[in-house]
Amino acid sequence: MNSTPRIMITGVGAVCGAGLGVDAIWSAILDGRSAVAPIRQWDSSRWPARLAAEVTEVSSQTLVEDRRLHKFISRTDMFGLYAAQGAIQQSGLLAHREKLEAPAVTRFNDRSGVFVGSGGGVYQNNYDFLPLITASGGDLKGFGRELTSTVNPMWLLRNLPNNVLCYIGIRHGFKGTNACITNQCVGGIMAVAEAAAALRSGEADRAVAAGHDATIDPETVLHFHKLGLLAEDAVRPFDRDRRGTVLGEGAAAFVLETDEGARSRKAEIVGEFLGSGCSTEGTGVVGVRPDGAGLSQAIELALADAQVSSEEVGLIVAHGNGTRASDASEANAIHRVFGDRPPPVTAFKWAYGHLVAASGSIDLALALRALRDGVVPGIPTLNSLDPALAPLPVSQKPQSLRGSVAVIACRGFGGMNAVLVVRAVPVSRAE
Amino acid sequence: MNSRRRVAITGIGMVTPLGHDAPTTWAGLLAGRSGLGPIRGFDAEGFPVRIGGEVRDFKPEDVISNRRLLKYASRPAGFALVAAEEAMRDAGLRPNALDGHRWGLSVGAGMLGVAFSELETVHRHCVADGEFHPDGFLDSQFPVDPVAFCRSQTNAGLGLLAQHFGIRGYATAVHTACASGGQALGTALKVMRRGHADFMLAGGFDSMLNPVGISGFCLLGALSTDNDTPHQASRPFDKTRNGFVLGEGAGFLVLEEWASAQARGARIYAELAGDGNSLSSYRITDSHPSGDGPIQAMQQAMQDAGIGLEDVDYVNAHGTSTQMNDRSECAALRAVFGSHIQRVAVSSTKSCMGHLIAAAGAVEAGVCALAIRDGIAPVNANLVEPDPECGVNLVRGQSRPLQIRATLSNSLGFGGSNSCLVLRHPDEVMAPSGRGRFPLGKATA
Repeated sequence: MNSTPRIMITGVGAVCGAGLGVDAIWSAILDGRSAVAPIRQWDSSRWPARLAAEVTEVSSQTLVEDRRLHKFISRTDMFGLYAAQGAIQQSGLLAHREKLEAPAVTRFNDRSGVFVGSGGGVYQNNYDFLPLITASGGDLKGFGRELTSTVNPMWLLRNLPNNVLCYIGIRHGFKGTNACITNQCVGGIMAVAEAAAALRSGEADRAVAAGHDATIDPETVLHFHKLGLLAEDAVRPFDRDRRGTVLGEGAAAFVLETDEGARSRKAEIVGEFLGSGCSTEGTGVVGVRPDGAGLSQAIELALADAQVSSEEVGLIVAHGNGTRASDASEANAIHRVFGDRPPPVTAFKWAYGHLVAASGSIDLALALRALRDGVVPGIPTLNSLDPALAPLPVSQKPQSLRGSVAVIACRGFGGMNAVLVVRAVPVSRAE
Repeated sequence: MNSRRRVAITGIGMVTPLGHDAPTTWAGLLAGRSGLGPIRGFDAEGFPVRIGGEVRDFKPEDVISNRRLLKYASRPAGFALVAAEEAMRDAGLRPNALDGHRWGLSVGAGMLGVAFSELETVHRHCVADGEFHPDGFLDSQFPVDPVAFCRSQTNAGLGLLAQHFGIRGYATAVHTACASGGQALGTALKVMRRGHADFMLAGGFDSMLNPVGISGFCLLGALSTDNDTPHQASRPFDKTRNGFVLGEGAGFLVLEEWASAQARGARIYAELAGDGNSLSSYRITDSHPSGDGPIQAMQQAMQDAGIGLEDVDYVNAHGTSTQMNDRSECAALRAVFGSHIQRVAVSSTKSCMGHLIAAAGAVEAGVCALAIRDGIAPVNANLVEPDPECGVNLVRGQSRPLQIRATLSNSLGFGGSNSCLVLRHPDEVMAPSGRGRFPLGKATA
């Protein structure tokens, strides 16, 4: 009987307000450049909370070369497909497949999974029906009659939450096990966890795991603002004066392979997936447990799954969304697991905002880079650690890694927590 | 992999166009009763399609006493809470403070749902001279409703289920269009096998029977326009079929680790024995005429369950009643079953309930469990002239008494995700007697 295979990450792709590609985003973070700025997707000059981290000055064609596809997909899908393309390209999987004989290609495709965390849609998707409401004068009979002559017949298809899943399959021929996870903020990170689980259980030999979202939408911004979740100047994770988060948009994607598969084709290995943990707090739609017990449970499950002790963790990439309640409960969770000597903690949302369904994915992409470069980036917007959260090793300045293992924490509406454990340089786990 | 955990189905709950619970739904399906009719939930008179499978007179407060919780529940989330409550009561089981973290939740949930009245409000405040003006949201008169915001979150239903039942473990929501419900159950099976939960509440819920939801399908021409004959409009595998009928509802199952279910003397409906999951990677709405995609899903599911073609007695088909789906699904069935195809009973219960989209696969898996329990394959209603191109053994005329050792439940989605689940009769698990491939406790992956 085979033992459970180790899981390697052999490709990473990403896009967000801070840059196109992991290199550009990483440089922005090291340079302390934030993409947070007044919203440009609509005239936001009168909006009280008008900050977001938008992807600007990037054409649709840069994101998705095939222009025929543009009318069948939406903005969020473009990000997801761009990131997936980057990850697949870096992995060299397609070049490898080209060298295979026909029957082996069929098997390769059937054994290639696709897992996607998708935001599931935004309010403005439905605004395509506003002209119809105008045309019908608010009368439903007229709405029905004028429907086919007023609304784009592709409306439903453009807004399918599983478009990225579908088009990764169609574009690259992958036909294996798959899922589109619509679990709000934790969707992207759960896609990685499910992809790894599929590889461990032998359902697939490799998988693409992507997270994508584009929530900078007027009605969403309005509601986030009214709930007091949006910052008016900057995202300041764990700061005494933190005032909220800022929405971002984008995607990150990964290629995961079994150790055997990656080594046999001599793939360059970016990092190793070690484990995942997931819990829910049962606190309703938007609440969090103040004591952090839901998140600490997920961290402990992930460490156990990874067979790593809390002392071996060298870096925590926190969810750190900058809201009063979430950051406080996250600090509590870290203390519950790591006691009063936690490893260095950082958070990246000051640079690219909250990518919602892609938030954990983009954090994972940068955690892998931090491990590779041996540096824990500082949080430039952090002026003064909230004393109620101390001791918490966060800093405006870069810190040193305490070890080669990173924990990535991700949280979301619905009381969801999902945590990954990864390491950069695979070392033999022989005992 | 070493010995693998077996998963028992011990509770079933349903809210469907045929009834507000599983027994009523099941009785309707066995009788071949149609739950479809003229749409009453909104004025559909001007729409190209004016029929659907509505859940009528639904009052979640009759079952769920927590009014505050229900305030946050959209219509489909209300279906979910009621169906899940029935499944829990049916199983005689409930998470508690000690084991809540060992309970997981896996749901197939629909697309972003916004009440039409909310869209009309946006129109009233933000559209002037035919143009959309976002500043209308800043109008002091704009009724900002945080509860409505919460209701429309994509994982709101999931969060409410966790809150209501005290589930504290692994929780996930999936959306692969019409395959969602099946994939949610498949995910639940895997989560239990890998030991991340000992109990799962798993299912699907959806409602697109509103002006925007039905419009999406009308624009694609996917729905039957037999507005004058709603009871006959959904006729999967009939030569004259002309599209599906949109339904709404929810289906939930309680899943437990087999040995612990036995130990507490639980009634086990069936084993959730295998999951197959593939991507067609062909076209976004079209299925491959050869059945490529669903073929792999069915083969994987049977392999995963450790059963052979000869063990399958009944297939609950996806059978939407569109020309393309039914033909391609039958091609897949013929390719998979080969010479066994005429022995296997096939029916689509969408003939009575319509298509419940993200809930379909979950409700239909529950139907399979009941078919196993009662030894009867539910009728494929409205089959007057079977499409000769289909070439499968359809359950025609009336429901068919049948010893069912194993069933397949197919769910095939827009976007090309294909889910196939295998359910096995509990006696097959307990007394393999040469039929089951793997004696209990020695199952291998």
